[in-house]
Amino acid sequence: MRESVRVIRNLVESPWTNTLFFDREIACEPGQFMMVWLPRLGEKPFTLSYPNGITVKRAGAFTDALTALEPGDTLGLRGPLGRGYPPLERPALIGGGVGIAELRLLALRSESPTFILGGRTAEEILYFDEFQSLGPVKVATEDGSLGEKGLITDLLPVDAGSYAVCGPERMMVACRSVLPDDRTYYAIERYMKCAVGLCGQCTCSGLRVCVDGPIFQGAKLEHMPDFGRRRRSKSGRWEKI
Amino acid sequence: MTALPEISPPLINASGILSYPEVFRAFEASGAALGGYVTKSVGPAEKMGNENPVVVCPEVEGQPLLNSLALPTQSPEDWETDLAETRLENARLIVSIYGGDSAEFGEVAARMSPFADIIEVNLGCPNKVPGEVTLMESIGQRPDLSGEVIGRVRGATKKPVIAKLSPNSDYLAVAAACMDAGADGLGCGNTLGPGLAIDTGTGKAILAGVTGGISGPALKPVNLRMTYECYARFGCPIIGYGGIESWEDAVEYALAGACLLGIGTAFLGKSTSEAAGLTRRIWEGVQAYLGGAPFSELVGRAHREPAPESARA
Ligand SMILES: Cc1cc2nc3c(=O)[nH]c(=O)nc-3n(C[C@H](O)[C@H](O)[C@H](O)COP(=O)(O)OP(=O)(O)OC[C@H]3O[C@@H](n4cnc5c(N)ncnc54)[C@H](O)[C@@H]3O)c2cc1C
Ligand SMILES: Cc1cc2nc3c(=O)[nH]c(=O)nc-3n(C[C@H](O)[C@H](O)[C@H](O)COP(=O)(O)O)c2cc1C
Ligand code: FES
Repeated sequence: MRESVRVIRNLVESPWTNTLFFDREIACEPGQFMMVWLPRLGEKPFTLSYPNGITVKRAGAFTDALTALEPGDTLGLRGPLGRGYPPLERPALIGGGVGIAELRLLALRSESPTFILGGRTAEEILYFDEFQSLGPVKVATEDGSLGEKGLITDLLPVDAGSYAVCGPERMMVACRSVLPDDRTYYAIERYMKCAVGLCGQCTCSGLRVCVDGPIFQGAKLEHMPDFGRRRRSKSGRWEKI
Repeated sequence: MTALPEISPPLINASGILSYPEVFRAFEASGAALGGYVTKSVGPAEKMGNENPVVVCPEVEGQPLLNSLALPTQSPEDWETDLAETRLENARLIVSIYGGDSAEFGEVAARMSPFADIIEVNLGCPNKVPGEVTLMESIGQRPDLSGEVIGRVRGATKKPVIAKLSPNSDYLAVAAACMDAGADGLGCGNTLGPGLAIDTGTGKAILAGVTGGISGPALKPVNLRMTYECYARFGCPIIGYGGIESWEDAVEYALAGACLLGIGTAFLGKSTSEAAGLTRRIWEGVQAYLGGAPFSELVGRAHREPAPESARA
């Protein structure tokens, strides 16, 4: 489905991150994404953090423009796309950076979630208060400004029925070394063009992240050596992660 | 004419769909009924293609897909590394190529030849980055230049050469020039148009490249006719492309004269296992229709004249 929506609110979450709310709710599974279109600037994938919102970290020209939108501005949406999370029992939601926001809808729709969150500073720990109302929250920051001083992996392993990990790929690789592959799900990011499985751009070891993912069970990653290692750039050339 | 190698099942993906060798391997591993795989078109130098959006997807079943990828490619050296690293298990590899002029086509063909069971020459891409001229306009609509390109490619490889035509051309004239220049078969064909889609919300063209080639069910009658006419005229091996999404579509193309059937847009939205399942259903349907007869019996049977021997390879 494609549609144009209007921005109704631009909420500053941190010095680098904003949540944009639209005038339309999208029926989606947690973990699915939308292709967000800004005419003349591009179209990129974003996970819904609200039924009517995405949380965006500024990383380049496109996200600079996206986070600068004001109420009343229009943007195009295509989706929901991809396969989200299966039902998770007693999940530990493990988020780093903007990956924390990408776990929000899953948190709201999970029973007895616990949270393990990490970032450089306290400002990167989004939704701390909201998550505390849903379950126990443990935090690690690199500068010690919130929770323990250190890396998210310092808080692992923890006991839980299942695990959902979302954050920078290197962080996910580190988490994977201590989490059970059969009960853990990872959210993979790749540059996307078509986002519907045609062009092959988003390949991770031959699986197309836009249709086979973006959520992958750890056991699948066993056969995906490109995870944490390389991705295809816009031209198709390999680049290191 | 060099006969095409045996490709069984006679189903392949279309160029620019799935694109990369590791994706082909994932399809093989999940039991796809594809006897061969076609790479994304390999160009003479690294190219990014258009900015996003590069597709306008059908909103309702049966609507066309528009795409304006505009031939992104890694460099031929990087393709060599890629194709050397990831080899197919059982299926054949068809390398699709393009260039800006015949010399570039020849160079790319020579470099890709060692990896390819067949070289498919893309003469008909109707997409461009704004400011460029499309391949279709610069070469694919011109019989003389298309013949020159095929001549160069012929000189650069001993592998069978397929000339993939544009439906927006005097394709019989182009095909005649290509066959004269040494092509072993024809690809019928590339996307139609290009067409245009405008977003009513923003009032702007959706594709960053403004226009995009039309594929999917809307393309089928056009390329089916091209297949039919090319078979009648040349009786050569033909790869049918355009809107193949069921066994009936596949049988129609075969009856019209295609000995290989390419699937592209039908993979839209499908996971690897769903896409592999679709290829198996298509192939099972074709086999049921054959009722035990060999697939070659079907090729060109819609024509009143019996099919020439050469097309039964
Ligand atoms: C399924 C999916 C869901 C996503 N959800 C969100 C979300 O909810 N919120 C959000 O802020 N972002 C999300 N992203 C990332 C987002 O789509 C953009 O890629 C990112 O925000 C970069 O934006 P940019 O164009 O402004 O920066 P760019 O100019 O593209 O690049 C900025 C930096 O990112 C690096 N980069 C480029 N490609 C990749 C890549 N494939 N992976 C990692 N880094 C890369 C570049 O090297 C550069 O340093 C998601 C991506 C995917 C695939
Ligand atoms: C996203 C996309 C990318 C394509 N890229 C190429 C390409 O690189 N080279 C080429 O010869 N044809 C390309 N095509 C055309 C297809 O190979 C095929 O000829 C056409 O789409 C018709 O088949 P279909 O209706 O099954 O998709 C592309 C088509 C699509 C939809
Ligand atoms: S982005 Fe085209 S296949 Fe995933």
